[in-house]
Amino acid sequence: MSRLFDHYGAEGKGYSQPAPLISASELKLPSNMARKQLPRWPRLSEPEMVRHYTWLSKRNFGIDTGFYPLGSCTMKHNPRVNEVVAQLPGIADIHPHQPEHQLQGLLSIYYEMQEMLAICAGMDAVTLQPVAGAQGEFTAIRCFQEYFRHRGEHHRTKVIVPDSAHGTNPASAAMAGFEIIEIPSQEDGRIDLSALRAVVGDDTAGMMITNPNTLGLFEQNIAEASEIVHNVGGLMYYDGANFNAILGRTSPGLMGFDAVHYNLHKTFSQPHGGGGPGSGPIGVKEHLAPFLPSPIVARREPSSDEKPRAVDAYWYTWHEPEHTIGKIQQWHGNAGAILRCWAYYRRYGKELRTMSEHAVLNANYLRHAIHREAKAAGVDHLFVDGADTVVAKHEFTLSLGPAKEALGISAMDVAKGLLDMGYMAPTVYFPLVVPECMMIEPTETESKETLDTFARDFCKVLQLDAETLHNAPTTTPVRRVDEVYAARNLCLRHPFDDE
Amino acid sequence: MVDQLPNLGREEEMLVEMGVESIDALFADVPESVRMVADLPLPDAQSEEELLADAKRLLGANLALGDQPSFLGAGLYRNFVPSSVFQLVTRGEFLTSYTPYQPEVSQGMLQAMWEFQSLVSELIEMPITNLSLYDGSTAAAEALTCAVRVHNRKAEQKDTVYISELTPPDRVSVIHNYCQGAGIEIKTLRHDENGCINLNDAERARGSCAVYVEQPNPIGIVDDGYPSLKEIIGDNTALIVGIQPISLGLLEAPGNYGADIVIGEGQPLGSPITGGGPIYGIFGCTKPYLRLMPGRIVGRSIDVDGKEAYCLTLSTREQHIRRHRATSNICTNETLIALMGAMHMSLLGPEGLEHLAIRNMAACTQLERQIKTIESISLPYEQQSHFNEFFVELTATTSSCLSFLESQGVVGGVDVSDWYPEKTNQMLLTVTDQTCQKDIDRLVQSLSMWVEEVKA
Repeated sequence: MSRLFDHYGAEGKGYSQPAPLISASELKLPSNMARKQLPRWPRLSEPEMVRHYTWLSKRNFGIDTGFYPLGSCTMKHNPRVNEVVAQLPGIADIHPHQPEHQLQGLLSIYYEMQEMLAICAGMDAVTLQPVAGAQGEFTAIRCFQEYFRHRGEHHRTKVIVPDSAHGTNPASAAMAGFEIIEIPSQEDGRIDLSALRAVVGDDTAGMMITNPNTLGLFEQNIAEASEIVHNVGGLMYYDGANFNAILGRTSPGLMGFDAVHYNLHKTFSQPHGGGGPGSGPIGVKEHLAPFLPSPIVARREPSSDEKPRAVDAYWYTWHEPEHTIGKIQQWHGNAGAILRCWAYYRRYGKELRTMSEHAVLNANYLRHAIHREAKAAGVDHLFVDGADTVVAKHEFTLSLGPAKEALGISAMDVAKGLLDMGYMAPTVYFPLVVPECMMIEPTETESKETLDTFARDFCKVLQLDAETLHNAPTTTPVRRVDEVYAARNLCLRHPFDDE
Repeated sequence: MVDQLPNLGREEEMLVEMGVESIDALFADVPESVRMVADLPLPDAQSEEELLADAKRLLGANLALGDQPSFLGAGLYRNFVPSSVFQLVTRGEFLTSYTPYQPEVSQGMLQAMWEFQSLVSELIEMPITNLSLYDGSTAAAEALTCAVRVHNRKAEQKDTVYISELTPPDRVSVIHNYCQGAGIEIKTLRHDENGCINLNDAERARGSCAVYVEQPNPIGIVDDGYPSLKEIIGDNTALIVGIQPISLGLLEAPGNYGADIVIGEGQPLGSPITGGGPIYGIFGCTKPYLRLMPGRIVGRSIDVDGKEAYCLTLSTREQHIRRHRATSNICTNETLIALMGAMHMSLLGPEGLEHLAIRNMAACTQLERQIKTIESISLPYEQQSHFNEFFVELTATTSSCLSFLESQGVVGGVDVSDWYPEKTNQMLLTVTDQTCQKDIDRLVQSLSMWVEEVKA
């Protein structure tokens, strides 16, 4: 075991640096503001530090390590050229307070991204400022709010979400000050139009929904749902978490949505880094554009003195929308993530649709292959589809309910068994409407062979006896972690001997 | 594109195996009325080489700050990040992992984040730290809403918080967007002529839910009045202090002068500025805030064999469980950038941090000394200690000064008339450990020339 705080090099050493421009004794600091004791940090030389973090990395599973079918998370391969692009000095070493004429390259890329995202989603205007999907949701709901205030419709205090929605939807709307009305899904997981009709009214600000939904099903009644909400004067919000399933085949604009957030890191590509960073731009229809966060990028013909740093025939400027909600992040969003996604998009161009087609092809193929292999192995009675559908979209769900009933094997047991086979486990116990749910999303960057092998291995896990599975995993760096112990015996930082 | 899709050209084989007619059939569930018929009006796909050439050309049109002496700061600082940080953080096992929902195969990132929490806790002297928020501005906003959740029941000034009047408008705007939904009223606290907080005015905040100040403050002043704040505002009002993490190699940790919540922009430790993101927000607090704080937290635990192991903990505060009653909507955070921070801190060690802080402050003091030698440029807060940055009062508009400096190959400071419209002649000048003596000489020389030109 390598622990950071076990490294105690000699005092007074430390990372080598140039001498200060003037000596420390000449610095003037109020006496009550001088630090009395330095942080009790460990002391590592570079070789020790490199080895520690390399050791840690070997105890972590990424897409580069193996197949990562984590439903709803879109764990696709991250093209390496994107990392090279994001480290160029023209992005890494620029400051948001630099004047426009020093950032023409960045602004032109922002403009290109705004345009591309608007086209893909059928929206009229885009801001790249939100730094994560959840922040995008919050931003769009804030725009809804200001739109209604501007129109004097202060009575619109309610936001409707289906019970199968991602938790961020209700959390974001609540943070903006809305009351949440949750409506039950139909038994098949799809939206219940009569339940929707029953709750809409004068007080409806909007509805938040993702399509395909969290079961991987396309909501065929989506246009009707939009109509129901629009008829009472509400707005429709598209949670773009699953946009990667439909890009180029349909769009939120065509489905009647007024606003959408893009999970750039999922639909496009920004490595997820163990939990972030992400990037969550939003697109809106014309009537919401004046409320977008400031600034967005506009372009015009350059004047004669603006030519020197021009990147093309246009001059790019920051633009403040007329009734802007202001800032949602202090700077211009996660520029580094936006750059990576721009690089990703450029590799596909107008063929982005192929990306979605392959995401859906792979999901349907894997679903087919799992059933095929299960039948061959005689374990097909241990699970059922989470939803009755001819075709899934980019992900699908399985219910391990039968296995639980017959053998006492839970979805979590199967997940842990898969870890022992060298896979990341699918998402488990979400969405809640499917009992013993496993949500599987292979993404477009997995080969047919990987999918076939996974299907076989999945069935091998189902053939293991219950005791073996309850004990799984056994080949991982640690075995099942006691989460209850962690919560009852809170240890959130290194305990020093004297504490 | 061809190199990114393993099953390109094998669609037929897979469709036949499934008994599905065509790719179109996979989208048969999309009603005709909402189908996109035409191709996307976008350019052709590019090869990696073509993309890279375009990226270099376009980003080359930006002025990278390494190419010229530059004096921009105001919340983001050019600091050196050791080479090994970049080398290690791009290891695929870290880079391409997701939120550690399966702790057994995510021990590396979980332990690294627990160590990050430990390092930051020591730095700010807070018992509890989360594993990052988006940035300093959202961390400040989330700290204020958290304080209201904790204190509102007993507060005499319900739903009210106080922030320093110097807080930059863009940060205030973020705070406003986050606070307005909970009906929180944001009032401001005055500063004295000398730039320090007016402690008499701070009495007004007693009975409210929170006070938010920054150290060093937004105009670079190390304010020695803060240690009195906690006593003035009382136990039922949270003292929230925003920090620049490197400064804590020299400055007292806020946990040692009464802070209840400490937030900060983590960027100077471990991350380049990158146009303002991705960076990471620091959030630490004392025990009363634990169960109502935002963000993910890693706890140390054991596995079934009793072996040391790590996992996410206290998740019942979070949106995926608590939904609209969650303490925050945050899901994706800035883990990878926080990891860069942890790596940088690991290399620095306590004395390395102190030395780094000294270098930052020394550059600042040196620039102040040399600026003072320029006749007719004054330093409005000359008597105060400054870290990283300070105001200068110019003899004409800041915008004219910035244009002149640029003609001399110098990127000047921030024009604060964007913040305070009446301050047309003031500029916030920033230096860091990356500022060398030659840069300072160049700025001072250029400023002297400008002063002469204005006179003439």
